[in-house]
Amino acid sequence: MIQKLLFRNQDRKQLIIAMLGAFMGITFLIASVHYLIRLNEFGKGSEILGPNTIIVQKKVSNSSSLALTKTDFSEREIEKMEKLPFIEKVKPVISNNFDVSFETADPLVPRFRSDVFIQTVDPSFLDVHSNKWHWKEGDSYVPIIMPRDFLVMLNTFMSASNIPQISDDLAMDIRFKFTVSNQTKKVWVDARIIGFTNEVSSILVPESFMTYGNEQFSLGVEKKITQLMISGKENEFGKVEALLKEKGLESKNAQMVAGRLKSVIGTLLLVVMGISVIAVFLSGLVLIQYMQLLMSKNEYEVRTLLRIGYAPKILIHTFFLYFIKIFGVIAALGLASFFILKYFLDEMFTTGGIYLNTTISMATFIVLAMVYLFFTLASFQTASKGIHRHF
Amino acid sequence: MKITLNQVMPFPLASMQHGEHSIWGKHIELLHGNKIMLNASSGKGKSTFIHTVLGIRKDYTGSVTFDSADISQLSTSDWTNIRQRKISAVFQDLQLFPSITVKENLLLKNNLTQAFTKDEIFGFLDFLGIADKWEQQCGLLSMGQQQRVAIVRAMCQPFEWLLMDEPFSHLDEENTQRCLKLIIERCATLQSGFVLTSLGDNHGIQYDQTLML
Repeated sequence: MIQKLLFRNQDRKQLIIAMLGAFMGITFLIASVHYLIRLNEFGKGSEILGPNTIIVQKKVSNSSSLALTKTDFSEREIEKMEKLPFIEKVKPVISNNFDVSFETADPLVPRFRSDVFIQTVDPSFLDVHSNKWHWKEGDSYVPIIMPRDFLVMLNTFMSASNIPQISDDLAMDIRFKFTVSNQTKKVWVDARIIGFTNEVSSILVPESFMTYGNEQFSLGVEKKITQLMISGKENEFGKVEALLKEKGLESKNAQMVAGRLKSVIGTLLLVVMGISVIAVFLSGLVLIQYMQLLMSKNEYEVRTLLRIGYAPKILIHTFFLYFIKIFGVIAALGLASFFILKYFLDEMFTTGGIYLNTTISMATFIVLAMVYLFFTLASFQTASKGIHRHF
Repeated sequence: MKITLNQVMPFPLASMQHGEHSIWGKHIELLHGNKIMLNASSGKGKSTFIHTVLGIRKDYTGSVTFDSADISQLSTSDWTNIRQRKISAVFQDLQLFPSITVKENLLLKNNLTQAFTKDEIFGFLDFLGIADKWEQQCGLLSMGQQQRVAIVRAMCQPFEWLLMDEPFSHLDEENTQRCLKLIIERCATLQSGFVLTSLGDNHGIQYDQTLML
């Protein structure tokens, strides 16, 4: 009966407009949050380098081949790059300054030996989840991360030797051996592959092994820094790319494409999310204003109900419940339309070759719950203020 | 419940000259169960008195107490309880809801304390000669009919005091007497008192106390 008294003769046009705004805002807000999270996860775990991380080197030109321009990085250049606002961190890629060769050391695999080039990067750039990624003198083997091209090469060799080709998992079971040496001494250290990468072209070893080799077997020539690891800030990859162009640097194309793609879509999603937040906020504000209008239209009814003995909390509850029900309907419709939208967007991403995780992220529900909570609190506050004003 | 007015002077009436017998600015006690007439001409503060005792107006000097409790110290829930169970009122402007039916107006009040059944309430309307208005929109009733609805609504709760602000101003003598009969019977049942404001007509009742403004 109170509902009939208080919610009759409403101007529903304003309510419907506010509901539509909130519905659209919520749909796009949760969709953008979901895809922003899924996009940031895209590629994570599949590669060993952390997100937004690339390895760069100076472009080799004819003049650099003739030693007219330098291809190495000076300390000052690195420091300058580090200070740029869109750069998270910059570290040199450290290479071996000792002779190292790599060979199979497994009775089941034919002997294969090659002089190799090993590198290490600051551990903060790596996304290696293996607990085997450490080494100290005396350990039974050095864990290594192999360029995937190496496995292709090894399989070509196996095939030529009439031996069955090996998979990633099998390759990780084969025993290998490093021969580390300089002009005066030589040691053999067992090695095991613990992972593969498409991002680095050399064999990666733990930093401690590189330090050991460079200290114990140094060839005595100062090693120049020719490659850098650069980690850019989230969704600012465009600026990193511009910097590479400006400084005449280059990176592996695949890393650039993935980074650019993530950056562009991420920025777009951020814009959509920003607009959605504003839409939700404004429509929430219109709904709250509608509630105030409704209370002011019913000023006589509210005042009289209080005078005849109705408790303010009953009236607050009536208004509050009415509006959180409305917002509940909006949230449910928003969630439903997000599912529909997601179905089409997932299809679109898959067709475009972007295989995003299709499970709905928890953050989507958290954002929805937070928006709902925010509206609930605002509604309660407005209802409470509006009713107590008449007491 | 004893209602005491201690040198109460509403701000809007402070600049007026009040008669020797006026209750404004004096110590007045309204004793439990008394039938009280508050007699005054227009503009002397009859509605102000009702609104002040009901806690609707707070613009006065002095103090009003219920037993020993100063009403200025009462909480929102205290007032809700008082308006539901201790003091009922018939307002001069009736304060009915014109857009809903007579039945809904009465049940809206009765639902708070379930004082009567729907049939009993209908019986009151029947006794006052407006049973046929049960399902009619309140705003379409004449002032006299609305006044009777407001009186029945005031009955639909337990109370210790019934405050009535010129409740019969639009009623003829016959309907006034019917209403008074209903009111006196209800007050007798509840052993409660009432304050009836009037422009001078005592409606043929023996009052325990007559106050002037």
